[in-house]
Amino acid sequence: MDIEEVKQRAGPREFSPKDEMPEKYRKAATRMIQFHANSEIMGAYLEKPFIRQAPSLDRKLAFSAKVQDEIGHGQLLYRAAESLGIKTRDEMLDELAEGKGKFLNCFHYPMDSYVETPMIAFFVDGAAMRRQATLKSTSWEPYAHAMDKVCFEEGFHVKHGEAILYELMTGSKKEQEMTQEAFDEWWPRIIQFFGPTNEKSTHHGFASEVGLKQMSNDDLRTAFLNAYIPKAEKYGLEIPEEPRISKNDDGTYEVVEEDLDWDEFFTIAKNDYEPGVGQINGRKAAQDAVEWVRESLDSHENRLYGSSQPQAAD
Amino acid sequence: MIWEVFRQEKSGDYHKHCGNVHAPDREMALLFAEVQHGRRKPTNSLWVTPQKEIGEVDTEDAAFGGTTDKSYRWAMTYNFEAAASEVEESESEQASAERERKAQIEGGS
Repeated sequence: MDIEEVKQRAGPREFSPKDEMPEKYRKAATRMIQFHANSEIMGAYLEKPFIRQAPSLDRKLAFSAKVQDEIGHGQLLYRAAESLGIKTRDEMLDELAEGKGKFLNCFHYPMDSYVETPMIAFFVDGAAMRRQATLKSTSWEPYAHAMDKVCFEEGFHVKHGEAILYELMTGSKKEQEMTQEAFDEWWPRIIQFFGPTNEKSTHHGFASEVGLKQMSNDDLRTAFLNAYIPKAEKYGLEIPEEPRISKNDDGTYEVVEEDLDWDEFFTIAKNDYEPGVGQINGRKAAQDAVEWVRESLDSHENRLYGSSQPQAAD
Repeated sequence: MIWEVFRQEKSGDYHKHCGNVHAPDREMALLFAEVQHGRRKPTNSLWVTPQKEIGEVDTEDAAFGGTTDKSYRWAMTYNFEAAASEVEESESEQASAERERKAQIEGGS
């Protein structure tokens, strides 16, 4: 299949591993799905400490279930990416450990305090789920299948985050203030979650032409703001003055881009942002620590099915 | 090695394909399938099979249901009031299957 045919046929769940896809499509899809898978894994590591630090048993259990889910989503997505035949799961996990694998801007920032958890669990997950819901109709079928399961599980994550936000914002004055401070700090990052406006996004054009991407960053940002600004206000959070956001007559939003720190954003995008480097290395240490498990699984598989196995017994 | 996973939601249902896992052998494939695919969705039973053991024939290779008019084998063709509820049920299942088949043929061309 050539690129022109791909563009012509591009539609929800149109292409699967049995189609012979051009390399350009397979590379673009791999880049997108690998980024998504990496983000699931890095997000899980960001929340892992709160299995211990959450203030009640219910919250600890919920965080534990959620971290389990996110790692599972990573696994599903690496499978969807592998099915494109560009990279293996091992290669992608190694790239993540070596600091070459890219992932969401928000997961480069450390989370130090429990009051920060709803910033990830409600707002970032809410933003991610908005995007994921549109990806149920991506053109790479295995990716869409993964989204079915991810969205099925993700509803709990966002509602759990909302429950924590509600609890903090109806708690003591100090809790409310600390939560507002965390919101002030995270809000610009959450807006940047959707990346720069379309003109600056280098990969958007092709990815949307071949049906991988279903909605532009601007449309996703608008949909997110429409749903989550009222929620934030409902719980008594004040929307920070910057970045300046104004609503157009057609219901879309205008975000003043100069109010956001794009240097930081692009430093993060290169995996050069210092706290994020710490998080990448932290996960690498965990990966190294269980290298022996992977090795024993691999050698077991080689023993059973490897080259030593007779090709034609009779 | 990749293993395809099939999940049966409740006893008596079909096992439906739900994804795949990496595993070095069948025993671990079942374990990983349990963790990955049997944890959140209702699950009564899981099957795993090596991916390379799956065979497939699709609409590119086969004309499922034939290429000629076979209306004679559908209940809707015979214009009589159904004698009993099970006949009526069967006819309505056939009618919706026929609609889906037609939509598929039209959508595919």
